[in-house]
Amino acid sequence: MKKLVSLVLALIMALSLASFVSAENEEITLKVMLPDFNSDKDWVTLEDGNPVLQHIYEATGVKLDIQWVADSAYGEMTSLTVADPANMPEVMVMQGVRDAIMISTARAGAFWDLTDYIYDAEEYPNLAAGSKSTYDNIAIDGRLYGVYRSRAYARAGIYYRSDYAEEAGITEVPTNVEEFKELCFALAALDPDMYVINMCKYVAGTIGITTVMMGAPYQYGVDEDGTIYPAFEDPAFQEGLDFLRELYEAGGIDPNFMTIESGSWNDAERSTPPKAIMRLDCLDNGYRYQEWLETNMGADPENPIVALVTALPNDEGDIQIWPQNIGASGEVCVCKTVSEEKLPAVLKFLDWCSSEDGTTTLNCGVEGCTYWIHSDGYRYTYPEGEDANKDQYTLYTNTVLHSLNQLGMNVHGDLSPKAASTILRNWYNNNLIENAQYVISNPCYTLDSETNVLMGATINQTVEDAQVQYIAGKIDLDGLKAVYADWHTQGGDKILAEYQEAYDAIH
Amino acid sequence: MTVTADVRQKRPHRRSIGKDLMRNPWLYLMMIPGLVYFAVFKYLPMWGIIIGFENYVPFTGPIKSAYVGLYWFKQFFSTPMWLTYLGNTLLLSLMSIVLTFPAPIVLALMLNEIRNMHFKKISQTLLYMPHFISIVIVVSITYVIFGADGIIYKLTQKMLGRSIDYLGDPGVFRWMIVGQSIWKETGWGTIIFLAALTNVDTQLYEASMIDGANRAQRLWHITLPSIRSTIVLLLVLRMGSVLDTGYEHLILMSNSLNRSVSLTLDVFVYQNGIKGGQYSYTTAVGLMKSLVSVCMVVTSNKIAHALGEEGLY
Repeated sequence: MKKLVSLVLALIMALSLASFVSAENEEITLKVMLPDFNSDKDWVTLEDGNPVLQHIYEATGVKLDIQWVADSAYGEMTSLTVADPANMPEVMVMQGVRDAIMISTARAGAFWDLTDYIYDAEEYPNLAAGSKSTYDNIAIDGRLYGVYRSRAYARAGIYYRSDYAEEAGITEVPTNVEEFKELCFALAALDPDMYVINMCKYVAGTIGITTVMMGAPYQYGVDEDGTIYPAFEDPAFQEGLDFLRELYEAGGIDPNFMTIESGSWNDAERSTPPKAIMRLDCLDNGYRYQEWLETNMGADPENPIVALVTALPNDEGDIQIWPQNIGASGEVCVCKTVSEEKLPAVLKFLDWCSSEDGTTTLNCGVEGCTYWIHSDGYRYTYPEGEDANKDQYTLYTNTVLHSLNQLGMNVHGDLSPKAASTILRNWYNNNLIENAQYVISNPCYTLDSETNVLMGATINQTVEDAQVQYIAGKIDLDGLKAVYADWHTQGGDKILAEYQEAYDAIH
Repeated sequence: MTVTADVRQKRPHRRSIGKDLMRNPWLYLMMIPGLVYFAVFKYLPMWGIIIGFENYVPFTGPIKSAYVGLYWFKQFFSTPMWLTYLGNTLLLSLMSIVLTFPAPIVLALMLNEIRNMHFKKISQTLLYMPHFISIVIVVSITYVIFGADGIIYKLTQKMLGRSIDYLGDPGVFRWMIVGQSIWKETGWGTIIFLAALTNVDTQLYEASMIDGANRAQRLWHITLPSIRSTIVLLLVLRMGSVLDTGYEHLILMSNSLNRSVSLTLDVFVYQNGIKGGQYSYTTAVGLMKSLVSVCMVVTSNKIAHALGEEGLY
C-alpha cells in the first residue's frame, strides 16, 4: 500500500515539475469552506502534494485552501462562521437555500450579489448555461447570492420485488395508478408475515409520492381562481391517504413504521426473507437494492428482480412526479471577504468547476491517479487488472479527493467519464432526463411568508403527525379534519394570506 | 482574662474585605481561578441574552442588530401553541420532581441498611453504571425491549391479554421518560445522600435501640431527620433546573403518534433555534424559562427558611 502511494505521488510530482500554470489565469489562493463526508479520513493539502489540488492549480491558477467541516456539524458551523465577518472564508457552501440563516445573511450583505455575473455567457459560459428555473428557486428578493449545486429532479418513484409480484400472479409492471393499487393489494394478500410498502419515521416521502402521483399538488396548490390552498385539502391528497390507510388495514404496512429510524429504513427489505418488498422513495435506492441482492443473495445481474416504476398516469390521465428537491442541494456563495478586484477571478474558477474538466476533477479526481479508464471504455476506481486491490485504491482516493465533490455545482450535469453501469442504473439515468417534465413544484417555494418562517415547521409537523395517525387507524376522518382546522387557526390562515399577497403581486 | 480578650481581638465578628485580604492573601489568590471561570464562562455569555430583544442577524452581530423590544415575547404568546409547550413542560417537571427526586433517597436508605459490606459495595457499583450510559443507548435499549418484538411488550401482552403501545401511546410517553430517568440516574443520585448518612451520630441509634425502637422507628425518628437539611438543600437546587426537560431524550423518544406530549420549551428552543436558525425568538423563550426557574428557586428557598431549614443561602 505505502509503496503504491509513494509510486503514485512520485509520478505526480514528476508530472507537475514538467507542467506549468497556463499564462492566462492569474494565480490566486482561495479559502473555501466545505461540508465533509469523509471526516474520519486524512486529507492531503496542496503543499503536501495533493495531485487533485495540483491539477486544479495547473488548470485554473487557483491554490485551494480548504476548511473541512463535518457534515453533521455544518449547520451550526455556518451560523458561527457568518457571525465573524472578518474571518469568513472566501467561498463557502450554504446548505439551505431558503432557510432563516441563508436569507438573513444574504440580506445583511455577507455574500456578493452574483445576479449580473452569472448570466454573462461571454465570461462565464458554464454558469450561464444553468437552469433558469433552478436559479429562480434559489433567488432571494430576486437576486442570486450563489451558484446552485445541481441535483437530479425526477428521482422519486416506486421500486418493488418483481419476483414476489410474479408469485402473486402479476408479471407486468403497473402502467397506471389503478394498476399500482391493484399490485399493492395483491402483494398484501400474498403472505401475512410480509409487508408491502416499507415505511419508516420519515413519512414525507412516502405520503408525498403517493398523493402527488394521484394528482395532489406539492405542499401548496393554486386553484383556477388563483387562490392558494394547502396540498392536504386537495381531494387527490385524501385519496392517497385513504389508499395508504386501506393498505395498512390489509396488513400491507408495518404497524410500527413510525418508530423505525430512517437509518434503519433498509433493514426491512434487506432481510431474509424480506419483511417488506416495495418502497416509495428515490429510485437510486432501487438499483442499490438490486446490487445488494446481487452481492448478498446471488441475484442475477442480467435479470433484475427489482422493478423500478415512475411517471404513472392517474385516473385523469395526468402524470405527476413528486419533486425530491428543487433541482438543487444548497449553493456555493462568494463571501465579501473577496475583494471586488478578485471577484472575476473567483467566478472564473467557479465557472471552471462546472466545465467538463471541472466536474471530472471534483467528482472523480485525476486520471491514472484516482480513476482509470479501462479497455471497455468505462471509468473505474482502480487500474485494470487490480480488482483485488480495489479497497487500497479507494483508501488513497479518499485522502486526496475527500469530499471535493461538495464544491461541484455541475450546473449542466455530471460530465465526467461514464462508469460501468447496470441495467437498472441505465434505466434510471435515461428516465431522469425524460421524466423531468412531469416533476411538479411548490408554487409558494420562492414566496416570502414571515409566519411560515416563524411557525410553519411546527404546525406542518402537527398535520403530518395526524396524517400518520390516520394511516395507522388511530384517528378517523373527523379527527384528521379537526387537525386541519387547527392548522388554519394556529397560523395556517396567516401563512396562506401572506403567500396569497406575494403570489398576487407577481401574477 | 487577658487571654479571652486576645481571642476576641483576633476574631472580630465582621472584618472589612481589605483587612481580610491582607491577612489571608494566599486564600484570595487561590480564589482567582474560580472567579475568572465564573466571569468568563457564566457572566460574560449572559450578555448574549440581548439578542432576545433584537432581530439578531449573525452577520450583523449582536451590537448592530435592530432592537425590537418585547416583539419575540409577544410573538410566542400570540401563538396558541404556547400553552401546549408550557403545559407539557410543567407536567413533565412535576412528574420528575414527585417521582425522580425521592427515588435516590429511598435507595440510599435501603443501601444504608445493608450489613454485608461486600454485597453493598458490589450493588453500589452496579447502581452507578447506568449513569455512564448515553441516553441514546438507553433509548435504543428501550426500543428493543418495549418495541413490538420486545420481551416486555410480549410479556405484558400475555399477562394483560391486550397490548400496550409503549412507544406510541401519548398517555404512556411521560411514564417512559420518567422511568428511563429513574433507571439511569437514581444510583448516581444516592452518592450525596449516602455521604450525609455517614454523618448520622451512631450514638443516637444505640440509645434508641436501648429504648426499644425498631428499625422503622429508627429510620423515621433518627435517620430521616438527620439528613433533612441535605434533602431540602438538594430539593431547592433541583427547583432551579426543574423546567430543564432536556431535548435529546424527548426527541429520541417521540414519533408521529406521541409528539403532541413531547413538545416542551426545550424542544421548542432546539427545533426553532438550533435547527431553524431563529436565534432571537428562541433566546426570548429560553430567557422566559430561566426567569421562571429563578422565581422557583427563590420561592422554594423562602419556604425552606419558613420551615426552619437553612436552605440554599
